[in-house]
Amino acid sequence: MEVLFIKLTALIYLFSAASFFYFVFRRDTASPWPALSLSAGLLLHSLALVIRFANEGFAAVALMGEALLFKSWLMVAVYLLIQLKYRLTVLGGIVAPLAFLMCVAALAFGKSGGEVPPGLETFWLPLHVTLAFLGNAVFALAFGVSLIYLLQERHLKHKKMTGLLKRFPPLESLDRLNLLLLVWGFPLMTLGILTGSLWAGIHWGDYWSWEPRQISSGIAWLFYGAILHSRITAGLRGKKAALLTMVGFCVVLGYFLWGDTFFPSRHGGRFQ
Amino acid sequence: MVQKDIVIVGLNHRSAPIEVRESVAFESDYLRDALSRLHNYPSIDEGVILSTCNRVEVVAAASDSATAYQDIGSFLAEQKSQYNGLALDDHTYRYRGADAVRHLFRVAASLDSMVVGEPQILGQLKQHYDAAQQAGSVGTILHRLFHRSFSVAKRVRSETGIGSGAVSVSSVAVDLAKRIFDRFDDKTVMLIGAGKMGDLMARHLQSQGVRSLMVTNRTFERAVELAERIHGNPIRFEDFPQYLKMADLVIGCTGAPEVLVDAAQVEKVLRERKHKAMFFIDIGDRRNFDGKINDLDNVYLYNIDDLKNVAEENLQGRSNEAAKAESIVGEEVQSFLRWIGSLEQVPTITALRQRFDDIRRGEIEKSLGGGLKTLSAEQRAALDDMTTAMINKLLHSPIAQLKSRNDNDDEAALYIAALKKLFDLEGK
Repeated sequence: MEVLFIKLTALIYLFSAASFFYFVFRRDTASPWPALSLSAGLLLHSLALVIRFANEGFAAVALMGEALLFKSWLMVAVYLLIQLKYRLTVLGGIVAPLAFLMCVAALAFGKSGGEVPPGLETFWLPLHVTLAFLGNAVFALAFGVSLIYLLQERHLKHKKMTGLLKRFPPLESLDRLNLLLLVWGFPLMTLGILTGSLWAGIHWGDYWSWEPRQISSGIAWLFYGAILHSRITAGLRGKKAALLTMVGFCVVLGYFLWGDTFFPSRHGGRFQ
Repeated sequence: MVQKDIVIVGLNHRSAPIEVRESVAFESDYLRDALSRLHNYPSIDEGVILSTCNRVEVVAAASDSATAYQDIGSFLAEQKSQYNGLALDDHTYRYRGADAVRHLFRVAASLDSMVVGEPQILGQLKQHYDAAQQAGSVGTILHRLFHRSFSVAKRVRSETGIGSGAVSVSSVAVDLAKRIFDRFDDKTVMLIGAGKMGDLMARHLQSQGVRSLMVTNRTFERAVELAERIHGNPIRFEDFPQYLKMADLVIGCTGAPEVLVDAAQVEKVLRERKHKAMFFIDIGDRRNFDGKINDLDNVYLYNIDDLKNVAEENLQGRSNEAAKAESIVGEEVQSFLRWIGSLEQVPTITALRQRFDDIRRGEIEKSLGGGLKTLSAEQRAALDDMTTAMINKLLHSPIAQLKSRNDNDDEAALYIAALKKLFDLEGK
């Protein structure tokens, strides 16, 4: 049942992506339709997650395929919240296709990656996973915002006026939103790492085991912390801030792309 | 009923030089008067006068377009009496029927404007239409025609990019500023030089919400003068570099031969303002700002040539969109003609039925008075029913044909003309 829902969700996200492109291309960024179609996708997506949650418990989200499902859900939800306040239709043009790809990838991966041992199914699991994923979702959006910033900035510098970019938000808004996402993302990431560490300490007795995921998260955490610090104290902003934000997300992303494959670990589903 | 035609006689920026246009222009105070004079011509059933700085046109609904052309010609010539120059005819264009409808739609959609896509023309059209309506010179046809033209203009504006992109130097600069900054009420503008161009740009930015404005000029008195006019703060020319760090937008419009602000200076200022973005707009006769400023992060420099290039590109973009707009106009002209056509169909059908029924009644009466004198009341009623049914059956196919011709105007007109001639419906 939920597999059908996920398939439908993916379809709606694809349609939504097309509508984002269409309306941005038509210079009609005020149209509510793209965001509405994305919301419809999110609704179905939520249903699918609830069904899976009811059937298999929250632990299911810790596995690769389901993790993607949960992450894309968080990303779309956070984006829609931002859209409510900031009207960043252009960002939807990145979020919607990404959400589509993540759903398709989730379907392709299916339920691979083993089972979570019963002993691990404590409240720490949803707490740690939700916080960590939420942080990632916020940083993913910061990545998108930075990308749009760089495109807009480049065109202004090179004095090239292509039609599509005329509908991009002003640099000032993008920069402010970038900071806002950083301000939210960093504490979420911090809490994600803390809860993970505490959980590990309680369950396995070691708070920090130098796992690849821990190392990459640690690097990303230091990196984002440094960006946030320079933004607040040293007046880091604009192009450099956007570039660094994107690099930070690449560190996060890097682990997801090859981390589990090359470095089997608890995060990769080996819990013993 | 005789078919009414739509007639336009006019002159615009392409057909006539400004002196000629001015000589026939209608002052808005006299418009009402002029409209009633126009309406007094027997050939003009309905009339609207459109008079802007780029065009003077008379749009009319008339039964006889040839006479209407002549009458509008002399109406305009009368207006022009104070002008003793070339003959007006050389500068006017005339349209009727579909061409007239197309012309008006193109005017409304700003396809016929000097700057294609400029938005003012629609408002002017509405204004002149309202004036005509108040003067009582508008009837069914022009009412429909003008309202149609307004919605065509809206459709063109929303479905094409014809009005998008700024096409003047100062509006391009404001457009660019809007892509850098998202609000202007917390921004400060520094205007270096008291030239006319800078004045204009400053006002343009004020209309976007800029409240804080510094004005500097080599002659301090001129800075004070301009600052007073545009509600800014005058600053001595020697002092302006110190104030630079407060400025988010810097406009240079001096004729100075040397560079007023160089990159090293801006780099220093940037550190002081924690790298908050700056926008330099150089509209001086010579370069007021060092070109290397644009290489610094968070700083954007556009000079007059850059701004002109953008305006040029936007204008080019508009003319590309114009092709789309033309096809929308084409569609709308067809649909309007269908409506005009349908105005004529109904009376023709009614007249046709009437004609047949008249003949039927006449013949029945004749027969009942002669060979069929002996028929009973029931038989008479049956005879009446039978002949009515016969005529209905005979007419069914031609009327159905006529009604279904809606989508092909030429053919519909042909059928209507043929029916009128064959059954002598004219004048009924």
